[in-house]
Amino acid sequence: MSAQPTPKYSIETTHPLKRLWESGPGGWNHALTRPAVLIPFFVVAALVPLALQYVEDNSSWTGAQFWTLILANCAMYACLAVALNLVVGYAGLLNLGFIAFFGIGSYAYALVASDQLHQHYPVWAALLVVVAVTLAFALLVGVPALRLRGDYLAIVTLGFGLIMRDLILDLDRPPVLAGHQFGPDGLNLTGGTNGVHQVDPFNLPTSLPLIGPVPHFRMYYWIFIGFLALSIFCMLRWRNSRTGRAWVAIRDDELAARAMGVNTFKYRLLAFSMSAVMAGIVGMIDAAFIFNAFPGNFDVQQTVQIFIMVILGGLGSLPGAILGAIAFTVPPFLLQQFVFYKYLVISIVLIAVMVFRPEGLLGTVSIRPRQTMGGTLELLIAETAIEASELPAVTDAEVADLEASAGAIVEDPEWKQ
Amino acid sequence: MDYFLQNFPQQLVNGLEAGSLYALIALGYTLIYGILEMLNFAHGDVYMVGAFLAAGVAGVFVHNEVAAVPAGLAVALMMVLAMGGAGLLGVGIERVAYRPLRNANRLAPLITAIGVSLFLESAVQVWVSPAPVLVPSNALVPQTVFHLGNVVTPLTGVMLFVVAVALMVALDAFVFRTRFGSAMRATAQDREAATFMGIDVDRVIMVTFFLASALAGMGGVLFGLRYASVDFFMGYLLGIKAFTAAVIGGIGNIRGAMVGGLLLGVLESLVGGFISSQFQDSFVFLALITVLLIRPQGLFGQPLADRA
Repeated sequence: MSAQPTPKYSIETTHPLKRLWESGPGGWNHALTRPAVLIPFFVVAALVPLALQYVEDNSSWTGAQFWTLILANCAMYACLAVALNLVVGYAGLLNLGFIAFFGIGSYAYALVASDQLHQHYPVWAALLVVVAVTLAFALLVGVPALRLRGDYLAIVTLGFGLIMRDLILDLDRPPVLAGHQFGPDGLNLTGGTNGVHQVDPFNLPTSLPLIGPVPHFRMYYWIFIGFLALSIFCMLRWRNSRTGRAWVAIRDDELAARAMGVNTFKYRLLAFSMSAVMAGIVGMIDAAFIFNAFPGNFDVQQTVQIFIMVILGGLGSLPGAILGAIAFTVPPFLLQQFVFYKYLVISIVLIAVMVFRPEGLLGTVSIRPRQTMGGTLELLIAETAIEASELPAVTDAEVADLEASAGAIVEDPEWKQ
Repeated sequence: MDYFLQNFPQQLVNGLEAGSLYALIALGYTLIYGILEMLNFAHGDVYMVGAFLAAGVAGVFVHNEVAAVPAGLAVALMMVLAMGGAGLLGVGIERVAYRPLRNANRLAPLITAIGVSLFLESAVQVWVSPAPVLVPSNALVPQTVFHLGNVVTPLTGVMLFVVAVALMVALDAFVFRTRFGSAMRATAQDREAATFMGIDVDRVIMVTFFLASALAGMGGVLFGLRYASVDFFMGYLLGIKAFTAAVIGGIGNIRGAMVGGLLLGVLESLVGGFISSQFQDSFVFLALITVLLIRPQGLFGQPLADRA
């Protein structure tokens, strides 16, 4: 596709930063997901607690632990937002039971690494258990539910989330169905409203060469940051793979994707279960971090909170998910006296973003109202033509993004780097 | 078995009572889904706001001892204000949160609907009351209890059932017998074609939201009178169950929603009474998942190629 530079814009005189600004959310997202941006970001993020500690050691300020805890919380939500982005942003599946998988991961780890069932698995064995259990639940829900379309999927996953909450709350005693008790007397699986306590932390060194002693909270901050970096790396690799393009194609037009021979069920199930397993692992790290698996951490409002992080940042955007996580975890800590109004503010922001800027700050998914009536092909051509005529100069990467967002599956050697 | 036979009629009556409330709310889901093909997630919370409006009106009459007003008039005023208020709220929600996204991706209005739901819940929690609010039901309605064999039911329960069924019949007549009703059905079938036939689609959608929300508001009044207590979270689970009822009956199908609601109420009551009250809700959602898998168009829905 060749862009015709009109007299209004000319390639020579447009400043690169101006071009970046004009490239819109999709372009910003693209610019922020380059390794040149992401690698320094993670290096700086990993060094922050050390800098905080340095300031604390050399001044009268004493907030290093407090701030590292906030950042660890932030990193945890960023991991969850990235995992949710996979299922909602990439694949367009509205999974309202998302937080249940986080809870399943937490409880699965808590049960094999605490006195609840008198099991103390090593970390790697526990990780295998967590992955297996979350995957099993994801398939149990996903295989039937993913045959359903959009809003039905939402309600089924929501129902699943509520069933899981009931199970977590009620399995502190053997279930009784129609007068028959299942399991021995005194069976206590989940600890009911109290949750599972004294969960083993991971068996990690308490001091590292060069850095010296590492307190618990800083170690877990690094684990969360490491997991975040790993998930973003995987997500970027997926995004530009055959699988990622299939997800985008399904999200943008399922019918067209199916017509192109994409096995929609397979790819939706893949996105659903990958996201669930990621959430499960985050849940496991969280349980080890706070020594607890507690039912209050998995209520439905949490799902909405992670949704708003993803939506504010922009559906389909990984830097957006991190931004959203920061925006919705740091202020509540600083404004404790207003915490009562938290969900009021979240809900207003959610509605306002959807109505005024549905693509979010850095989103790549076009969910603006469509003004034209017509088939997929017409829309594809019209959108491509409009974007091409308005952009000052279209780089190959932008073309690739444009084609990907229009649902076309095109082989391009540049994507495979 | 004796236990079952002795308790079955009572559970059935309890189920019909709960089911008529589900049906009333399910009608709203089905009306809005029928016309806009969207899941109005905030509907359960409109019902909650209606219940709070009714509780507020009742509180003014009873606590300020406006004794000159007969209780019947107070109840009528509760119903009118709760229905009107909830109806206007529904119209407002549609105008602010759904209309700008009417032609957008299906995900967008669903997400705003979740936002509206959370907004209504937290607004009532923050600005009205975080604790349950009592409805002085005993000062407004006679607390008669009917005994029929070994079945026991209070007058307010009977009222819930009778008013709900009467409203359903009225709605059914409105949709299937009046000119405006046929405009609604035309809009539900094909919005663009309806526009070409000279139907003011925006107006039809507004009226639909008003009717659906007013029914929810009435549900709130009846719930308040029956259980004498309302709280900001009451619409959440009930909304999901009512949607389940609408899906079981075949979403978009008005008579289906009524039958689905009653069926769900009875099912829930029987499960609670004879299998496990602990896992009552889990069975409700299991029923939803089963229906969706076996018959996605619901019990009375028309099979639609791309609906599920």
